[in-house]
Amino acid sequence: MHGKAVVAGVGETTYYKHGQSKDTEFQLACQAVERACADAGLDVREVDGLISYMDTRNSPLRVAEALGMKELRWSSTPWAGGGNNSASCVMQADAAVTAGYASYVVAFRALAQGQFYRLGSGSTLASGGAPEGLSWGLPYGEMTPAQECALHTKRWMHDHGVSQEALAAIALASYANAQRNPRAVRYGQPLTREAYHASRWIVEPFHLFDCCQENDGAAAVLVTTPERARDLKQKPVPILAAAQGAGPEIGIRAFQKKWFPGMYYTNVGEMIWQRAGIRPKDVDVLQLYENFTGPVVMALCELGWCRPEEVDAFVANGALEGPDARLPFNTSGGNLAEAYIHGLEMTIEAVRQARGDSTCQAKDVDYSLAIAGPGYAPGSAILFGGTH
Amino acid sequence: MPRLLGDDFLLPTLGPHTKTYFTAGSIQIQFCKDCGHAQHPPDDLCYACRSRNLEYRTMPGTGRVESVCLVHHPVHPALKTKVPYPIAVISVDGAPGCHVLGNVTGCAPESVVIGDRVRAYFDEVPNPHGGEPLKIPNWARA
Ligand SMILES: [Zn+2]
Repeated sequence: MHGKAVVAGVGETTYYKHGQSKDTEFQLACQAVERACADAGLDVREVDGLISYMDTRNSPLRVAEALGMKELRWSSTPWAGGGNNSASCVMQADAAVTAGYASYVVAFRALAQGQFYRLGSGSTLASGGAPEGLSWGLPYGEMTPAQECALHTKRWMHDHGVSQEALAAIALASYANAQRNPRAVRYGQPLTREAYHASRWIVEPFHLFDCCQENDGAAAVLVTTPERARDLKQKPVPILAAAQGAGPEIGIRAFQKKWFPGMYYTNVGEMIWQRAGIRPKDVDVLQLYENFTGPVVMALCELGWCRPEEVDAFVANGALEGPDARLPFNTSGGNLAEAYIHGLEMTIEAVRQARGDSTCQAKDVDYSLAIAGPGYAPGSAILFGGTH
Repeated sequence: MPRLLGDDFLLPTLGPHTKTYFTAGSIQIQFCKDCGHAQHPPDDLCYACRSRNLEYRTMPGTGRVESVCLVHHPVHPALKTKVPYPIAVISVDGAPGCHVLGNVTGCAPESVVIGDRVRAYFDEVPNPHGGEPLKIPNWARA
């Protein structure tokens, strides 16, 4: 926090449509870590800390051994959920290097879900043998994050008079920005408002284009101290503030009381604004994880950009599209249109904005914010300082 | 009546926190005997006062639809012929703050709306592991 740790390099593999990577998931993971080090000009064997999230396959021991790392001095993973940790994984790297426990820590996420089970698919769940906690929904066909987020979104839209156009605006902005990004899986495939509305329902109120893609790929972020970064080749990007958490009334029980409908981002917002000493209006460019568009508009409100009754107007008329938008947003195309690497690719885009080398570069960036996946606790966020 | 999603569709796993709810044949909610707090799903201690002194109480079996989503995409092979179907969050009468999940059946799936009053019924299904049958709660318009 406060720039005591910096991002010294970022690495990404090619992003593929679901099932199209010829590399194995582990090869993708290793390539992303290697590329983050290459970006920084660091010998990969010097990495001494590894972090991932919702990943039991690409263990730090396996990665460290395969890449010939001399010594592992930090390995960790944030608890629970999935994409809600795409910012807190870098926060943990910050904590590790700031405290001096490790020198060069890489946070990474790799997925080629076609090679394993597929997230959001119920087809592998055993009748009567699934984890007990899933039993509250399974017998009723409630088995995916899309359905859970739809239940929250539907009630929230009902309570606050929010229209389908607010959801459409999120999808349209992500797709418009992806048309500037050749890395994006949806590059060259613009989305019109008509095509959005004509697309099939997945679960109301989510059309196909309200839902994140399924992709193969890997992403990695290298964190070190500013002193060490001076000997590396990239412009170091300071980590100004980060937050992870939930509460009050934690909300571990889905759909209960306080957090229904809700996205678990109120206290994440309060922490990040207090720690950074800024307010939402000061943010120059925002990457906000889209699992589904509904959680994005809900999180915008919980984080303090506007009230729910104002969100239709806040996102309307292209307010989020392009580098000169009122709020430059998901500038790489995000999970919807660049690739779904559980949001770590969006944290990387926030770093890119702070460096000044996005394909949809906002002007004079002082504050570049990445918000991890809403709808699942603990939520997280990370704020990078501009380098212009 | 046959289960909405098919009699052989996914069954709940019976464990220490689910067994009562899915076998009682009435809506059972966990209450704290010390402070009166109601909570669902059940757990090993009271989330309001940390007491371990908990019991199940029988609810009247009525409730209100707090949210509903209409599922069109079948994520399980057995659901291909069942879509669209509704999933509802239902507040349980007699258990303040407690919401359960269910379908709302016996009406057009797209007709279910927030605010609908509903009544519980129970689908009796043989327990594949033997022993007493499952009685899976579900909901119909009251
Ligand atoms: Zn109590």
